[in-house]
Amino acid sequence: MISLSGVHKTRGQGAQRYSLRIGQLQLQPGARVALVGPSGCGKSTLLDLLALVLAPDGAEGFALGGEDIAALWRRRALDRLAALRSRHLGYVLQAGGLLGFLDVRGNIRLPRQLLGLADDGSVERLAEALDVLDQLAKKPAALSLGQRQRVSCARALAHAPALLLADEPTAALDPVNAERVMQLLLREAEQRQVTCVVATHDETLARNAGLKVLRIACRRDADGGVTATLEQAA
Amino acid sequence: MRPLLIASLAWQDYRAEARLSACGVLALVAVIAPLLVLFGLKFGLVGSLTERLQRDPGVREIIPLGGGRFNAEFIHSLAQRADVAFAIPRTRQIAATAELLMPLQGRGVTVEMLPTAGGDPLLGRVAPPQGLQDVVLSFTAAEKLGARAGDQLQASFSRQQAGQVQWRQTPLQVTAVLPLAAFERDALFAPLALLEAVEDYRDGRGVAALGWAGDEPGNAAQRVYPAFRLYARGLDDVEPLRELFAERKLLVSTQAAQIAQVQSLSRNLDLVFWIIASLAVAGAVAAIGAGAVAAVERKQRELAVLRLLGFGSAALLLFVMLQALYSGVIAAAVAGLLYVLAEHGLNRLFMQVPGEYASRLLPLHYLVALAAVLLASSTAAALGGWRVSRIDAAQGIRDV
Repeated sequence: MISLSGVHKTRGQGAQRYSLRIGQLQLQPGARVALVGPSGCGKSTLLDLLALVLAPDGAEGFALGGEDIAALWRRRALDRLAALRSRHLGYVLQAGGLLGFLDVRGNIRLPRQLLGLADDGSVERLAEALDVLDQLAKKPAALSLGQRQRVSCARALAHAPALLLADEPTAALDPVNAERVMQLLLREAEQRQVTCVVATHDETLARNAGLKVLRIACRRDADGGVTATLEQAA
Repeated sequence: MRPLLIASLAWQDYRAEARLSACGVLALVAVIAPLLVLFGLKFGLVGSLTERLQRDPGVREIIPLGGGRFNAEFIHSLAQRADVAFAIPRTRQIAATAELLMPLQGRGVTVEMLPTAGGDPLLGRVAPPQGLQDVVLSFTAAEKLGARAGDQLQASFSRQQAGQVQWRQTPLQVTAVLPLAAFERDALFAPLALLEAVEDYRDGRGVAALGWAGDEPGNAAQRVYPAFRLYARGLDDVEPLRELFAERKLLVSTQAAQIAQVQSLSRNLDLVFWIIASLAVAGAVAAIGAGAVAAVERKQRELAVLRLLGFGSAALLLFVMLQALYSGVIAAAVAGLLYVLAEHGLNRLFMQVPGEYASRLLPLHYLVALAAVLLASSTAAALGGWRVSRIDAAQGIRDV
């Protein structure tokens, strides 16, 4: 499904420098992993690389569903990357990232509309599975944080993506809600055979949810900068 | 890219921000409505003045001054010119008077005789007299005689020969009476042949057609006319014709100065309008552009989310431009409505003659205004919204 080798990305300089190195990351279809590490260690950076919104500085290999992502970035083929994003990716943001001017239904079905997919009732099915069926006509501002996160999960799955990325999807929730959202998200993802990458600082939550844990390790270099490395997947 | 989906998203966002959207619309209305009123005034005022000039054929008349010697061929060639609406020779003024008498009422009047033919602007829609003894009367002459169309008159023509005053009388048929506005003096309009006959009689020659005895008639082809009646085709043709006659050292009297006055008023108003319009449009473009910059700044988060979902830069730019177009369409409609109200008021205040307008716009003007607004809106929004291409999904979504 997705394969990265020798991908690196650096931001800032000197003591502000932050580098992320990914030696090897292979995810099979249906794989479900958690990126775990202290905050600021680069979980979001890795997710952005996977989400095709951040260009790697260099990559020996970077492929997603058969497409050579590294080459697309080199060619600055932004429209192709955007098309791949809309086709293959679902993204759950930390605080939902819902569009305030659309109601819940409009938010959930937007990825389907973008792909020109017909309305097949999957919006309602997802809403029901994620327990937001009653909220379809409301604007996101009228929802609780937990409800917003569940709507965000529904939106990320609505167009049946191959890869689901979630960036601290439960960080803003209380533990009870956090566990519920995580379980609902993973249950739906599993039913759809979606590859999941969930970034979280909460290793226990990840383990309880049955995710395979990948650690990102940080070390401070001599120049004061930080280098983060992805623990090799076993 | 899915234009319809983007249009729908842009519209829903536009509605969700109704207050800010209304501000954008009001800013545009503040520019468009006064421009419409200004242009409507210019167009209505100049149009009314021009129409007034065009309605009065006297404005287009070119009158030769002083005695001339023209042959029929020359005047015919004038009549054939594209810039001449009507030209006909005149006989000598002194020979062109008639004493008219209504036998039944016993009323009489002395009138001037004017030659006429088909196409005479003074006759307007009145059919020209055809036969030698057919005439059209001016309103005042008919009034003094108590004559109406279809009546028969007795006309007398006098001449002095060897110290003796002689008279000839002939019946004339009144085919029509002109309205007062067409000609305000006592006159009859007759075919040129009748005027030539009267002139021949005055000169002592005989007129076979009317049974008047006299000397042998002269050669018709060598007849010399002292003047002519000539009307330019349009207002713009008067000045070139005046120049043509001036080149031939022929003194003419025209209304060219009056026409030039209206035309220079039109030109000056045009200039004023375009100066104000370009200043206002430049301001509007700057305002729309700034609005687009602000919108991109304000909607950074939403635009970043849209980009993350897979919308490209072109789609995001379209999103921003469409919102400016929505403002443009609404503002144009509101401004059009305000203009119609203003037009109604202005016309009530200033209308002098029915059919004349102080302020007026053609449907075409509305369309041009709408197109200009949309073009300015989309251009300005494109310039201001260009920054969407720099929206970084990775940056924008973090501060969600």
